[in-house]
Amino acid sequence: MPKHVRRLILVLLGFGVLALTVRHFVVDRSFYRYGHYRADALAEIARDQPKFRGTAYCQSCHGAEYDAWAHSPHNRADGGGIVKCEVCHGPGAGRDPGHDYIHAATGPVHPQNLHLAVPTDTRALCSVCHEQIVGRPAQQRQIVIGDHAGAQQCSLCHDVHAPSRLKGAIAVASLAGSAAAGQRKSAACIACHGPAGVSAAGLLGPTLAGQNRAYLAAALAAYKSGARKNPIMLGVASSLSSTDIEDVASWFSSQKCAVAPGGAEQLAAARKAGAAMCANCHGANGVPRSDAWPSLLGQSGDYLKGALRSYASADRSHIVMSTLARGLDDAAIERVAAWYSTAACKRGREDE
Amino acid sequence: MAATASALLPDPGRAALPASPAAPAGDAAGKHQWAFGVDATKCIGCLRCVEACKAENEVALDAHHFRTWVERYVYVEGVDEPRIDSQSDPVNIAASGSEQHYRFANRYQEEKVEKAFFVPKLCNHCTHPACVQVCPTGATFKTADGVVLIDHTYCIGCQYCVQACPYGARFFDVENRVTEKCTWCYHRITRGLLPACVEVCPVGARVFGDRNDKQSPISRFLAENRVEVLKPETGNAPNVFYVGIDKDVR
Amino acid sequence: MHPDFTAAPYIGYVYPNETVFPWGVLIVVYPYLTGLVAGAFTVSSLYQVFGLERLRPVAHFALLTSLCCMIFVPTPLLLHLGHPERAFNAVFTPHWTSAMAMFGYFAGFYVLLLMVETWFVFRPHIVHEAQQRAGPLGWFYRLLSLGSYDLSAEALRIDAKWILTLAIIGIPAAHGLHGYVGFLFGSLKSREWWSSDLMPVIFLFSAIISGVSLLTVLYVLSCRLRRIPVDADCVKGLGYTVWGFLMFTLLLEGVEFGSLVYKGREGIDMILLFVRTRLIIPFFVLQIGVGAVTPILILSYLFWRGTAGRKLVAGVTLSALLILLNVIMMRFNVVIGGQEISKTGVGLLSYPWVFLGKEGVFAAASVLVAPMLLLLMMVRLFPPWHESEPPRAL
Repeated sequence: MPKHVRRLILVLLGFGVLALTVRHFVVDRSFYRYGHYRADALAEIARDQPKFRGTAYCQSCHGAEYDAWAHSPHNRADGGGIVKCEVCHGPGAGRDPGHDYIHAATGPVHPQNLHLAVPTDTRALCSVCHEQIVGRPAQQRQIVIGDHAGAQQCSLCHDVHAPSRLKGAIAVASLAGSAAAGQRKSAACIACHGPAGVSAAGLLGPTLAGQNRAYLAAALAAYKSGARKNPIMLGVASSLSSTDIEDVASWFSSQKCAVAPGGAEQLAAARKAGAAMCANCHGANGVPRSDAWPSLLGQSGDYLKGALRSYASADRSHIVMSTLARGLDDAAIERVAAWYSTAACKRGREDE
Repeated sequence: MAATASALLPDPGRAALPASPAAPAGDAAGKHQWAFGVDATKCIGCLRCVEACKAENEVALDAHHFRTWVERYVYVEGVDEPRIDSQSDPVNIAASGSEQHYRFANRYQEEKVEKAFFVPKLCNHCTHPACVQVCPTGATFKTADGVVLIDHTYCIGCQYCVQACPYGARFFDVENRVTEKCTWCYHRITRGLLPACVEVCPVGARVFGDRNDKQSPISRFLAENRVEVLKPETGNAPNVFYVGIDKDVR
Repeated sequence: MHPDFTAAPYIGYVYPNETVFPWGVLIVVYPYLTGLVAGAFTVSSLYQVFGLERLRPVAHFALLTSLCCMIFVPTPLLLHLGHPERAFNAVFTPHWTSAMAMFGYFAGFYVLLLMVETWFVFRPHIVHEAQQRAGPLGWFYRLLSLGSYDLSAEALRIDAKWILTLAIIGIPAAHGLHGYVGFLFGSLKSREWWSSDLMPVIFLFSAIISGVSLLTVLYVLSCRLRRIPVDADCVKGLGYTVWGFLMFTLLLEGVEFGSLVYKGREGIDMILLFVRTRLIIPFFVLQIGVGAVTPILILSYLFWRGTAGRKLVAGVTLSALLILLNVIMMRFNVVIGGQEISKTGVGLLSYPWVFLGKEGVFAAASVLVAPMLLLLMMVRLFPPWHESEPPRAL
């Protein structure tokens, strides 16, 4: 074999030996242990710190909110929904933008060095799940935002941790009084509020028939204390004891207006009148679906307008109504009042 | 994420994280057989899963890189093919206001929609993964417990695996210049936690568990439902099982 | 947030991750370069192995061209990789199921083969220069000579044996090198546009015609630069070669496309929309019309008429230029076109052209130009011209 061929073969062999040597030192020891990959990678990947910590982590410090949540519809697997804390508040450990994300062993952690977001735009957040959009299955509770909430935030009416708890709902604080006694004691009321509490055009006072008992009692108490300002009612309420107030309230609330809560058709009509948001609590035709809200049935347009304006001007104050009324302009107030004044209170068989 | 003077705040030690397994996860060869289920009849398209995944796994906060995503299929009256969009559609990005938060726009309100539904998507962690087959270095691999992972210190960033995946589950991480994809939150599941997307789903549309445990959510999901997989004709044998998808789901 | 990516616009529905194209013009240039390597080597082998004497004037030049292109073949890949410094991972721990891992070994083997064969071919020149030159260039040649100035008849006979052996081994090696590129695309299930058993063959044959065409153009150019008459017979040989392979290439491409359309699998509607709209210019006009049918017509006419001399050279050179266009368009339509058709089967993306940066058009163009510049240097170091030498005794 000629010298140059021998040397060529030596060079090639030398190159091969060099390549194998380099390979030996470069390839990771753990390669091929479990398969064609670097076995150490498994432990490295598993070492990343989880960011979402789970609800038990929140509970240890935020017990009150946790309890509210735990008993709410947002913690009901069979009801179709568990909305955990971190869904709205973000993960308990955050992104660390400055850190190499690969095997982020450290990063900001709440509460040590990470503020968790308290969402302020609940309207944007809640509607991510609850806005009625095409494709959402029917079992998901959905709303048309503009109809349901107008321009308002969800947190105006809903307790954010227990959303079925509505703010401003009337709580039944006291035992019912005697309706019979109330009838006797309310003789003087007829002059302004009409017979059996059904008001009419020309009378000073609103319809009281079928009104929410607790609402009536609270109103009388408020007039008596001066929290609600009305010279006539101040005089009337001052002469009533608390027993009297309960009796009178029971009497008027027992005078049911024989009108059922509005159905889908009336809801659609209410929507057209701009009263869709009101209907959430007060019903489509003014008859609310529950005792949590006062009835608007049989009220005159003037009375309703006056009421809304007093809320807007802070003459009357209510955790929800004040904000809602301030969000309505004059035209909207007119339309809403006009809608609710169309339904009249028909007295049931209890009258006469 | 401003640091506060909260060194004095109590450390919720009672709910501390479970430690990472002391032994490398691969030693648990065959102890678990992870699988995933998706109930598309329940998905409400809230996209909390997409945002949670990005937070948990530090995925780029833009509209072009996703480890998981949700598709919406809308059948308008008179048209055979569905209209399909996902959260990265420009219309939906406009509705959310930024590329860092996601929501589906309120579309199709004026049209007569016959049928519509959402389908969450993610890496299928196939039994015969095409991506693993084509990786030239062995940077992506399937573990003994059924998860397809990427070794980010070994990947050369050739993106052949991105091409090979029929489901579009992989993407290139421009910051770290390696490929990335859903890992079923391997760092969570090896600690007994759920993947972030399953953790936050408010309606239980995502199901995860160990098929070796007959009582796990996924075992029950598979036993109680007629399930299907995406693109079975590829032969990849995916391990994400769907309930409630339609003939046109891609 | 600095986006280091360009998002692609689209119609229909595409998977969210598809809006960033994984492979750009660099990956168009890469198979083009390996194709030139294989094609140029084929010319060299036609002379070395099959004894086509006509091609003698270009045989050694073809070898140099092949080597210069081969040296730059890894460049577009290294520019594309996210971690080029880890590129050898594919060589140290090759995943044998991956066509890309095969590349490391095919390419490594082939570049060694080319270097050794070139060394043997130019050894007489190397030895001569080693003995004559002074200075650093002299050291360069002395190093290359491996300290042996043996040019005896016996040594040259052994050299010739080595050259023949390497040339024979080099044929399947070159074809494996480029065939695997086709397999890289053709073996994927994820893209209907790529998935075809014919891909390796199509890539290979189009590679051959690109290499032969390049050689034609470069040879004619070099004759102009050296101010010597072009060997029309050699050019005729190159013309015959490219003509035959081109016809077969066109047939293969036609069969592949026809097969795709005929089978009409799911997603074909979007593919046909793509073909009818986006592909008119790049495919039907440039690749097929201008790049394939026209040169076939030109060459057929030339050979049918028996044209000779300057007219023949002009015609074949023109055809060669058109074929070079055909092949780059073919690579483009496969690589970029395949990614423009969404994996959903109901969407089409539009490749976002990038000009600057390491994945841009200028970078890709530089990668194409660089081997030519290297070649300019190489022909000075290792002159492949031997018109003055007597023909090789067979």
